Amino acid sequence: MRFLIVLIMASLLAAAVFAADRYAARQLLRADPDALPADAMLLRFAVRRGKPLFEARCAVCHGASGTGDPATGVPNLTDDDWLYGTGRPAEIERVIDYGIRSRNPKAWNLAIMPAYARPQPNPADKNIQPLSPRDIDDVIEFLMRRQGRQADPAAASRGAGLFTGHGGCYDCHSIDAKGDSAIGAPNLSDAITLYGDGSREALYMSIAYGRQGVCPAWINRAGAASIRELALYVYSISHPGAIQNGY
Amino acid sequence: MSIQFHTPVRFKMATDQRPEHAPWRDPSQISHARSFVLMAAGVLIGLVLAGYSLFTARSVSTLIVPAEDVALVNQQPISRADYLALLQTLYGVDLSHATREQRHKVLDDMIREELFVQRGKELDVAATDPDVRGALVNAVELEIAENAITSQPSEAALRQFFETHEDRYVSEGVMRVRDLVFPVSALPELPSEAQALKRAINDPPTVARLNGRDSGKTKGEEFYFAAKIHLGDELFAAARDLGNGAVSKPIQTPDGIHVLDMQQNKQPVPFGYAAARPQVVSDYRNQAVDRLKSSGESFLRRRANVLIADDLR
Repeated sequence: MRFLIVLIMASLLAAAVFAADRYAARQLLRADPDALPADAMLLRFAVRRGKPLFEARCAVCHGASGTGDPATGVPNLTDDDWLYGTGRPAEIERVIDYGIRSRNPKAWNLAIMPAYARPQPNPADKNIQPLSPRDIDDVIEFLMRRQGRQADPAAASRGAGLFTGHGGCYDCHSIDAKGDSAIGAPNLSDAITLYGDGSREALYMSIAYGRQGVCPAWINRAGAASIRELALYVYSISHPGAIQNGY
Repeated sequence: MSIQFHTPVRFKMATDQRPEHAPWRDPSQISHARSFVLMAAGVLIGLVLAGYSLFTARSVSTLIVPAEDVALVNQQPISRADYLALLQTLYGVDLSHATREQRHKVLDDMIREELFVQRGKELDVAATDPDVRGALVNAVELEIAENAITSQPSEAALRQFFETHEDRYVSEGVMRVRDLVFPVSALPELPSEAQALKRAINDPPTVARLNGRDSGKTKGEEFYFAAKIHLGDELFAAARDLGNGAVSKPIQTPDGIHVLDMQQNKQPVPFGYAAARPQVVSDYRNQAVDRLKSSGESFLRRRANVLIADDLR
C-alpha cells in the first residue's frame, strides 16, 4: 500500500512540476520580452533553460562565455556595445529569430561593409566606387583621429573628406563615425573593434576587403520558447546585474 | 474428478499482526472496487493527456491559441514574434507600451493579410502573378539552403577549402607607374638599353625633344584592377611584371610609343588562413548553399512529371 501511495505522490509531483514548467513557459511566451527583466522568477526560469541552448547552438561561434572573437569578427555578447539595437530582449530575440545576413527576408540584411580594394566594392550597390590605396590610408588616419589616437593631420583631413564624400562611409557609419545601430553599422569612433585589434593593418583589411559576417536565422529550427530563452540568456550575460538573488 | 478453482490465500506471517484493512486498501488482496477505480483513473488521465495534446499541439490546435502565437486564422498561426516586430516597426513601441488601439490595429492587419494569403492560395495566384512566383522560388530556395546557412563548418573543413582555393585569397596588387607616350617617329631615337632609356625618360629636355609626354592615364598609387582599366590590357600586362624602378621596353600602340616607368610595384600577396578566414567561411557557405540548391532542384526534377511539347523536345 505504501508503495502505491509513494507512486501516486511521485506521479502527482511529476505532474505538478510538468504543469508548473508548462505554465512558466507559457507565461514566458505571453509576456512582453522587454518587460521580462523585471520579472525575476521568469527571468531565472528562462536563463536556466537558455544556457544549455546557448552552449549547444551559439557557443560554436560566440564561445562558451559569449565573449566572441575579434580574429573572426564574432561580436562579444557580454559587453554593452550592441551592433543591432540597444540590447533589449526583443531586439536580441529578433536577431536570433531572423539572423544577420542570413538570407531570411526578415533578417538584418542591409549593412554590408564594401571591399574598397575590389573593382566592385559592393555587388548589390553599383553606386559605391573603389578607393585608391592612398584614399584608404587617409580614411584610416581619419578614424585614428576620431578615436583620439595619434594620426597624420593632413591625411586625416583628406580622410574626413573621403568619409563624408565619395567614399560614402557616412551613409552607414553616420557623419560622426558613431555608427548606426538601426542597420548594424559599428561605431568607428570608440575603442571597440569587431574585427581585429584596431590597428592600422586590421582597419586596412576591413576597408580594403570588406566584411559581411553572418548570424543564422533560428526561427525555423528552434521553437519560440527556446528562442526567447536564448534571448534572455544573452540579455543576462550582457547585464550581469539583471538577475537578482544570485542565479 | 473435480475442478478446484484457485482462490487467493493470504499468507499470514509472523509480522502480520496488525489490524485488518479494508480489502480495497490491501494490495495483497484482490479488490474489484480498487481495480475499477484505478482503471477509471488511468482512463481519465489518458483522456486528459490526449485531449491536451490534441487541442494544444502546434499545427493541430483547434481551440487554444498556442502561447507563441497571437491568433489562429483558419488554424494558421500568426506568430507572436512577427506581431511584436510589426508593432515595433509601425509604432516604435513594445507590447507593454502599445495602446489598445495600436495592438488591435496591428493584429487586425495581420489577420487581414493572412486571410488574403489563404485566399491567394485558393485562387492559385502563383500561377499567374510573376511576383508571387518569384517570391515562392526565393522562399523555397531559402528553405532548401537553410541547413548550409545555419550550420557552422568545422575548422578542418574550412582549412581544406582554403587550401583548395588558395588562389582566391590574395591581396590586391598596388602599383605606382608613370606612362610616357611618344610619337611613332621617336622610336628610332629611344635608347634600346634599359638604363639609358630610364635616364632618357627622366630627363625632361630629352622627353620634350622627342615630343614625349606623360599620358596622364595613371595617378599615383593604384590597385591593379584600376591600373588595368586606366592603362588597358596590353600596357598593364607589361607593367605588371616590372620591378621597382624598372622601365619597360617601348611598346607600340595605335596612339604612339609607350614607355612605362615603374616607381613602385607591390605584387599580390597570398593571405594566410587567419586573415582569409572570414571570407573563407562566406565562400564555403555559398558553395554549400549552391550545392544544396542544385541537389534540391535535381530532386524536384526527378519526382516531377514534366511533359514537353513535341516541337520543343
